[in-house]
Amino acid sequence: MEKPKLLIDGKRCDGRAMNELRPLKIQAGVLNKADGSAYIEWGGNKILAAVYGPRECIPRHHASPYRAVIHCRYLMASFSTLDEHGRSGPNRRSIEVSKVIKEVFENVVVTEKFPKTAIDIFIEVLQADGGTRCAGITAVAVALADAGIPMRDLPCALAVGKIENEIVVDSGKLEDNYGDGDMPIAIAPRNNEILLLQMDGMFTKDELRKAFELAYAAFPKINALQVEALRAHYAVKKDEVGL
Amino acid sequence: MTKIVVPGELVANSPQGMEFAFVENGKTYSSILGLFDEANPKLIPLEGAYIPVQYDIVVGIIEEVKFAGYNVDINSPYKGFLSAKDSRYEYELGDVISAKVREVDEVKNVDLEGARKLVGGEILEISSAKIPRVIGKKNSMLDMIRAAARSEIFVGKNGRIWVKGGNSALAVRAVLKVEKEAHTTGLTERISAFLNEEVNK
Repeated sequence: MEKPKLLIDGKRCDGRAMNELRPLKIQAGVLNKADGSAYIEWGGNKILAAVYGPRECIPRHHASPYRAVIHCRYLMASFSTLDEHGRSGPNRRSIEVSKVIKEVFENVVVTEKFPKTAIDIFIEVLQADGGTRCAGITAVAVALADAGIPMRDLPCALAVGKIENEIVVDSGKLEDNYGDGDMPIAIAPRNNEILLLQMDGMFTKDELRKAFELAYAAFPKINALQVEALRAHYAVKKDEVGL
Repeated sequence: MTKIVVPGELVANSPQGMEFAFVENGKTYSSILGLFDEANPKLIPLEGAYIPVQYDIVVGIIEEVKFAGYNVDINSPYKGFLSAKDSRYEYELGDVISAKVREVDEVKNVDLEGARKLVGGEILEISSAKIPRVIGKKNSMLDMIRAAARSEIFVGKNGRIWVKGGNSALAVRAVLKVEKEAHTTGLTERISAFLNEEVNK
């Protein structure tokens, strides 16, 4: 495919401003059998996150007598993009994404409280549109809180992209594939600690600074939606009667 | 005024030794999704697995019979162990018992004592975080459900409830209603109205 025009009249290919997020919707507690769950729609991304645990650690030799271990499985559905995504099981890319997401949550979950157990996180990407790992992290944070697992913060994530010499926030699939750089960032919004930082492409020092500035301006909006999703799930439903 | 707090939310500007909270830079933050009342600073979790604590009364199911005792499923990430020395009767796989947690060590080995077999009836599993609401202040909620359904009800701290006899279907529905609306106010009145309506049907 020929490279599409990503910047048109000072706007992005989908008509967004440089610092504008795609429409974002989060819902908590969507699965009955999971201990905690969340569903996120972020632009064209549709992702389900489910959390189980703390529960008995399988396989047993993974367990630690000091803390709970976190298992994370990120998977793209075979129908999530135009390209084939494999018939089953994780591939090279999803193993990497699972690993970095696991490490994000190892730093916020109060794992010392549950020795010998495992907390299992599942992320199923039903439809992908760029920035799935960030959307996944944002959803898992809500799912973990919904499961009643103690955390030091509610992490949120966002990908910052570079198109020609412009820094854009929340890059979509086209910008991700044909842009000049992509940088997923996950933070703990309470103290702004960085939990994940990856980068593809080249950013100059100034561009990096600009990227962080834009990302940190957008994080409070994402965090507010996460908190709202959790509150809405427990809002008093007065009309609801019995079973 | 009670409000819903999320993990990482500030609950006090001074360091406080609250359960389900942590202190950082002299301030106290919630670590869970829960209810917080500023007038009575206490965090009440809305969800979460059951973690055994000494002297808790639990409803367990015999999971494994060993020479020295029994492994008991106590609806928790951790198994309970009931020593054969401390139990007067021999239990079989699948028996339902009530027991007290004698001791929990640092790696969460759970020792049980004072087991009693619960014969017949049915067990109901709800979130252990909601058990305090099922019991109510000074047993008020539980007494009310018992009186209306005329059933024997035994509530374990681990979220298992054993119900036997009487109108057990009504008791089960009432308990599930409490679980569903556990985070709301005026629950006792609503359950009372629900029970009255059902009994006089």
